[in-house]
Amino acid sequence: MKGPLFNSAIILTGMYLALKFILPLLTAPLPSMLISLYMLLTLSALMIFYTMSGTSLDEFMGPIARFLSGENQVGIAKPARLLVLVVFPLLVGWQTYTKLAPSDQPPAENRTIHPAPPGEFVGLANPYPKTPENIMMGKGLYAAYCSPCHGANFDGKGPAAPGFNPPPANFADPGTIAQLQESYLFWRIKKGGVGLPVEGMPWKSAMPRWEKELPDEFIWKIIMGEYDGAHQSPRTWEEEE
Amino acid sequence: MSEVALLQLIGLSVVGLGIVILLFIKAMFVRVLGFVAMVLGSFSLVALSVPQMASLPPAIESFDIASVKTPDDLASIGQKIFFSKGQCALCHSIGPSESARCPDLAGVGAKLAPEFIYESLTDPQSYIYLDFRHEGLPEEYPARMPYINKNPIALSKPEIFSVIAFLQKMSGEPISIKVEDVMDMGQEEKSVKMASLKDGAL
Amino acid sequence: MIHQSLMNILKNLVCKTRGLPLLKLGTVFAVLLLPCLALAQDAATQAMSVEYRDIPGMGSRNLIWIVAQQHLLLAGFVLGVPIFAWVCEIVGWKTNEPRYDKLAKEFTKLLTSAYATTALFGGILLFLLIGLYPKLMAYLTDIFFPSFIAYCILFLFETATLYMYWYGWDAMQGKKKAFHLFLGFLLNLFALGIMIVPNAWATFQASPVVVADGTDIERAWAAMQNPTWWPVNIHRLIANVVLGGFICGAYAGVRYLLAVSREEKEHYDWMGYVGNFIGVFGMLPLPFAGYWLMREIYQYNQQMGITLMGGFLAWLFILQAMLIGVLFLGANYYFWMGISYRIPGSAQSYKKPIMAMLIVLMVCLGVWMTPHSLVASLEEARKMGGTHHPMLGVFGVMSAKMTVSNLMILVTFMSFIMYWRAGKVETAGWAKIAKSVMGALLVIAGIAVIVLGVWGYFVPAIIRINYFSVAQVLIVLFIMVTFTPLTALLMKSAKTTTEMVWGQMPIRAGYSLVLNAVMVILLMSLMGYARSSSRVHWHIYGVMRDTSEYAYSPALGYAAAFMSLNTFLFCLLVAFIFWVASMGGDKSKGPQKEEPKGSQEKLPEGLTPAMAGGSPRKGE
Repeated sequence: MKGPLFNSAIILTGMYLALKFILPLLTAPLPSMLISLYMLLTLSALMIFYTMSGTSLDEFMGPIARFLSGENQVGIAKPARLLVLVVFPLLVGWQTYTKLAPSDQPPAENRTIHPAPPGEFVGLANPYPKTPENIMMGKGLYAAYCSPCHGANFDGKGPAAPGFNPPPANFADPGTIAQLQESYLFWRIKKGGVGLPVEGMPWKSAMPRWEKELPDEFIWKIIMGEYDGAHQSPRTWEEEE
Repeated sequence: MSEVALLQLIGLSVVGLGIVILLFIKAMFVRVLGFVAMVLGSFSLVALSVPQMASLPPAIESFDIASVKTPDDLASIGQKIFFSKGQCALCHSIGPSESARCPDLAGVGAKLAPEFIYESLTDPQSYIYLDFRHEGLPEEYPARMPYINKNPIALSKPEIFSVIAFLQKMSGEPISIKVEDVMDMGQEEKSVKMASLKDGAL
Repeated sequence: MIHQSLMNILKNLVCKTRGLPLLKLGTVFAVLLLPCLALAQDAATQAMSVEYRDIPGMGSRNLIWIVAQQHLLLAGFVLGVPIFAWVCEIVGWKTNEPRYDKLAKEFTKLLTSAYATTALFGGILLFLLIGLYPKLMAYLTDIFFPSFIAYCILFLFETATLYMYWYGWDAMQGKKKAFHLFLGFLLNLFALGIMIVPNAWATFQASPVVVADGTDIERAWAAMQNPTWWPVNIHRLIANVVLGGFICGAYAGVRYLLAVSREEKEHYDWMGYVGNFIGVFGMLPLPFAGYWLMREIYQYNQQMGITLMGGFLAWLFILQAMLIGVLFLGANYYFWMGISYRIPGSAQSYKKPIMAMLIVLMVCLGVWMTPHSLVASLEEARKMGGTHHPMLGVFGVMSAKMTVSNLMILVTFMSFIMYWRAGKVETAGWAKIAKSVMGALLVIAGIAVIVLGVWGYFVPAIIRINYFSVAQVLIVLFIMVTFTPLTALLMKSAKTTTEMVWGQMPIRAGYSLVLNAVMVILLMSLMGYARSSSRVHWHIYGVMRDTSEYAYSPALGYAAAFMSLNTFLFCLLVAFIFWVASMGGDKSKGPQKEEPKGSQEKLPEGLTPAMAGGSPRKGE
């Protein structure tokens, strides 16, 4: 049973098992889309490797071709071939049916977490200096307006947080506010979830638009307080001096 | 059937056609075409398999003059003009920026009087050094700043003052421009453009 | 008044041309038409206010999309081919090898036949733009008019030069060859001008600058010097060479598949190799140029940068990674197949290094194609706590993508070096040392690239972009510029153990050449869509808004279907052009054997240019 075909089968199965069952032991399970992507890459690697020379091509494709064409087949191979020829189209049909059949599952989503802000918010800079007083005031405002959801520790674990999906942003995570500029936060706080463009799926965010309740000065100071409290610094484009 | 499903169906049929050609047709050139069709069909299928999303243009906002009540309203109109019709942000930044080609405007609202800003926008040549490097009368160095009240940008006086209000706000200062004054300017110019103020309207 | 004076002139004309009935008739006819002119003028003032016209059913944007794409792809081919045709001609002249001259001439033949079609599509595009987007075109004309004139003049010169270059090819052999090469230089110079002038119009739309007062020429010049002009120029210049190379490769691949005689097979196998070589070598610096362009866009306007990289178009870059990945794999596959088929008996000994390279390429591709925001069902997203995977999410960011693309370039380069050295044994005393130094350098470079990539996660974005990414690029470039001459030196004294055999490649090789060309065309269409969509709802970014019903950017799937259609149309068009071109002079094809053998002195082995695949002259 040895040969390229057998090796490929072993590698593919091993890969699938590793991605599907072993990786989740270490971390969160992978979405099925990623698994199929990695499987596809493995398959194409095997195809490329075994079609490199004439001999390996024969070893790799020969058994498949012989099996499918049904030449000189004896014993168990005969009904197996028939079975494959019947089951494979059925499988494709079933796959198509499950794809098209109506279901109560929401469609897989592709939400852009940090969509591009409108032009008039891109070039803004915080007009208030980073004095201890301003930061203090920002933290105070944060405690009053933001901490119920985003948490007193800036970790997205406020008392109201469990009620939301997607959860409130965790500012202590280096993937959130540390990746963004202050002007971006200003836009998100001021315009809230409803201000997101369509690719950000405004209907998914519960963030209020604070422009009516908070003057701009408060928002800028809250931003200062957030960065300071979460021990992050805003993304900059200029050199650190 | 949704349009995506229709396109997927077309993509699948193209791939299927390619396979049929490669299986049954011997003519080499047709086979190559079939191969190309297969590749292109699969590419489309991959692109169709991710959730689809179109980018919609934002609604064209128009400003009602009656809605301007506070200096803050004025500044938010100024903000829109600064980043679109006025083309200010094509060169200037507010705060340090690697890409700005002209002076940083952070804090100018606090440093400079509104009248001075207005003058430098409408008569950029007025405070420029003279060039004495030749015989005869001195010449002016040409200003790099365009005339904001003339074509092609051509902002009206109320529009320019709303931009100045915005700049004052971005300096963390209270806005000194008064809404009534701006309204009067609009009356003076006999063309209250605020009503038809559109993003990028030319 | 005007009407009357015109009548007088006409009357005079009629008097003078007495006896010429036809002219007289024409004059009368013209007089009758005068009122129509007045009517037309009324219509013209009315038409001035038209901002958009539409094509019912199809949509004006879709039509422009197709025509512009065809024009651009053809133009890319027409501007890319003369670059390497000319280089090829120089190589032939310097090495005295007629087969390079033949090849250059064959390239130029493809170029000449595609040239008219390119101009035709350019004309159609222009008429459609004027008709369908009058407002935008009026604005652009107002700013750019002097450059339109410059463009026309350049086009005149380009056409004249191309005629002389192509029709004078055989006449200018021998002593006049130097002049012919000079013509080739001029051709490329004008071609460069023809490319960069329209680039300025397109880049102005994406990154406009304030156009102040001044003369028309000053204003046009100021508008041309917008921030993304030169990055796009460089990027397109390289991409055109890649496109031209791969299309010539695909042409050779198809001809190889169709070939019957052994000579034809040998020739087209070789031509396919050269085409692929040009494509791959152009491709190696292309990501760096793309990176520069992206950086300029980010600097110009972050909103545009975010739209491209992280916003609405983020998925497009996953598709791009897929296409580039297939292209890299296809190119390497072709190299590797070349080793196992052209050098008999070498299949086994190269199995291990090929496997190692393949694994590295695949791992890199896996990282590159892992998106930042994953597509997940509700259930899966809940388990991950959002659409970012806690572990694999790190593959989604720029630092990881830059690292793997550098590694892929490195592997592809090594693939080429391996191909070059295959079937030869170094004889120089220092060969061992040189080889171990190269091996060590390669390992160090690979590790350095990875270390910089991982470290990039822990420094501010600006440091990563300004220093780390640049350092990665420089490391890879350093490897390329040191290894190439070093290998050439090694090969100089090397002994060939196994001669390369041409014309033995399997059918798969022909198909993989076609695949590479399709991938490049698709990539250009895809990135054209990205460039266009990054402007979102603006004709001229931030200055003139698109108020037509087509202001939205279509979804990726729909766009991809369109790109596929465009690619297919282009392939058909090119196949047709090449078919027509090949009907005329089939006899000039193929290696010609009548060249006098003794007229050339034998060159040392190592100097045989890498372009020839390291093979000895086959044409003799």
